[in-house]
Amino acid sequence: MNKRILSLAVAASALLGAALLSGCDDVSTTLKAPTYKTGIKEDETRISAFKAEFPSQHASYQKNNESEVMTEYKGSVPYRKNDNVNPLPKGFKHAQPYLKNLWLGYPFMYEYNEARGHTYAVEDFVHIDRLNRWGADGKGKMPATCWNCKTPKMMTWIKEYGDKFWSMDVNTFRGKDKIDAMDETIGCANCHNPATMELRLYSEPLKDWLKRSGQDWAKLSRNEKRSLVCAQCHVEYYFTHKDNGPAARPVFPWDNGMNPEDMYQYYKGHGKKDAAGKPGPFVDFVHGASKVGIIKMQHPDYEMFQDGPHGAAGVSCADCHMQYQREDGKKVSSHWMTSPMKDKEMRACRQCHADKTADYLRERVLYTQKKSFDQLLKAQDLSVKAHEAVRLASNYTGERAPDYDALMAEAREMVRKGQLFWDYVSAENSVGFHNPAKTLDTLMTSAECSQKAVDLASQATQYGIAPALAGDIKKIVPPILEMSRKLQQDPEHLKTNPWLQLLPVLPKADAAWDGQERLTSTK
Amino acid sequence: MGTPRNGPWLKWLLGGVAAGAALFGVLAYAMTATDQRPFCASCHIMQEAAVTHKMGTHGDRSCNECHAPHNLLAKLPFKAQEGLRDFMGNLAGNDVPYPASASTRDVVNENCKACHARTNVTVASMDAKPYCVDCHRNVAHMRQKPISTRTVAYE
Repeated sequence: MNKRILSLAVAASALLGAALLSGCDDVSTTLKAPTYKTGIKEDETRISAFKAEFPSQHASYQKNNESEVMTEYKGSVPYRKNDNVNPLPKGFKHAQPYLKNLWLGYPFMYEYNEARGHTYAVEDFVHIDRLNRWGADGKGKMPATCWNCKTPKMMTWIKEYGDKFWSMDVNTFRGKDKIDAMDETIGCANCHNPATMELRLYSEPLKDWLKRSGQDWAKLSRNEKRSLVCAQCHVEYYFTHKDNGPAARPVFPWDNGMNPEDMYQYYKGHGKKDAAGKPGPFVDFVHGASKVGIIKMQHPDYEMFQDGPHGAAGVSCADCHMQYQREDGKKVSSHWMTSPMKDKEMRACRQCHADKTADYLRERVLYTQKKSFDQLLKAQDLSVKAHEAVRLASNYTGERAPDYDALMAEAREMVRKGQLFWDYVSAENSVGFHNPAKTLDTLMTSAECSQKAVDLASQATQYGIAPALAGDIKKIVPPILEMSRKLQQDPEHLKTNPWLQLLPVLPKADAAWDGQERLTSTK
Repeated sequence: MGTPRNGPWLKWLLGGVAAGAALFGVLAYAMTATDQRPFCASCHIMQEAAVTHKMGTHGDRSCNECHAPHNLLAKLPFKAQEGLRDFMGNLAGNDVPYPASASTRDVVNENCKACHARTNVTVASMDAKPYCVDCHRNVAHMRQKPISTRTVAYE
């Protein structure tokens, strides 16, 4: 007994002594991130190749497979974002019922779901109905650029095909012989140099942007990089029109700035060139009802965030979405990139907001999200009304105003602008939280533009269409709940909604693809 | 008469005083050393606190200038207790507890007042907020700064 106490005392004093001795060195404030020399090849694209050397990061990355938990407005169940009718996993209480109407004539009317973990990126990609899976030729009818933010194999493919890659058909790279859906989905190599594990960009369009804006990755701070690796993909983009460069090469439309008005101005150019060689306005699709040339916004998470309360203060994406956690005493970045609202303790937030409770923080997020979501639905209602007004005015056979053409041109512009503005908010994944003021300001402007479009179209018809637009827009233009490439082959289905009737019936065809499986022969 | 000048008792007395002085010196040194950043930061878990301390305006003060009572009678048991708790917590692989415990927050706040009393004599600055750092927020280890300015992995 005495011996044990003695040896404990000796051990304790030895520890104290060691601590005192080791405690002679003061800390360094340079904050050097750990460095590595791995045995992994620089062009490695498989996630599994990183498992042995980085087991804890690999394990936390695998948590992205969680696909069940919903928060109040977001979560990881890939429900149909237009469906507020059916229960989960098909629909959700906070869905946007007019999405299919507003994207009439564009692949987004076929399928658009809530996003989930990176581990499912390729899996969800090869099942989405936006890419064509019908018809004997097996073509996806979309450019291979669609792969750009889905896999590190992009580096391999760009090396092999160069700028020819972008405009190849997306389904060229779909088969199991081309990509391993789970092992080559968004993974380590998209953000890390496999040899040193330093943060690096794989993204061609982001590298283009840094070049255009005179920035050098090597000289950027660790803090900036902790957001820019996400900005490789969580951004609005468009495909280059062949008149202006390599066809379908992806571009981030940031040259005028990152706000909705900046992008609206940017897209007045960069479209098909006219006879004089001047690029006209860019158009993603012509709306199936109003025939207005529309711009589609896609997840402008970085653009929304960077001048918000957190972004402007230098807080990075990784600060909230990859918080440090201690595993076996070792502090590593969580690689579970998901909703911070899933954590009951809101630990990521409390690295900074240590004086706040989790409940308080959650309520503050919802304070913004509820207002944003409610106003978003109203802006979408008005946008539908604007499309309908322009449609009715375009077909109007009564007496037109003397300046009908000028009024209608302006009305169409306002439909386009109003839609770009609400979509900037709708497509962004924080439901306002990343930038509350910009979100609500953008939605108000969106509603203003759509209302202007209604007013101008009414004026153009000398208010002849006004009675047709009086009343509840949900009755005048009912939300389209069901629509797919298969349903568009069925003339009966297209009769179920006044706007669906405006679409052409697609030829009857068999499925060419099921996921990565080719069903019909290539001949 | 009397005891010889080199008798055993005087030797013992002088030896005892010398040993006592030496022990006192060692303890005083150890007490001071274990108040300071290099000692506190010898556990990796304290790196973030140490780095933000060094970068901050209080970088030339010791950790325990804020984190332990100044009064020696209160300080000794407080240090022993906190030291043991941190030692066990570190062994168990726990993270730094945040927010800090109520006792630590109270001690820190008393020490704000101990040094900055004169700035606050004419104002009721302790009436509205329970702690000084409720306004002087970044004194609490620059909590509002981006993570990358405070810490790195594997600390």
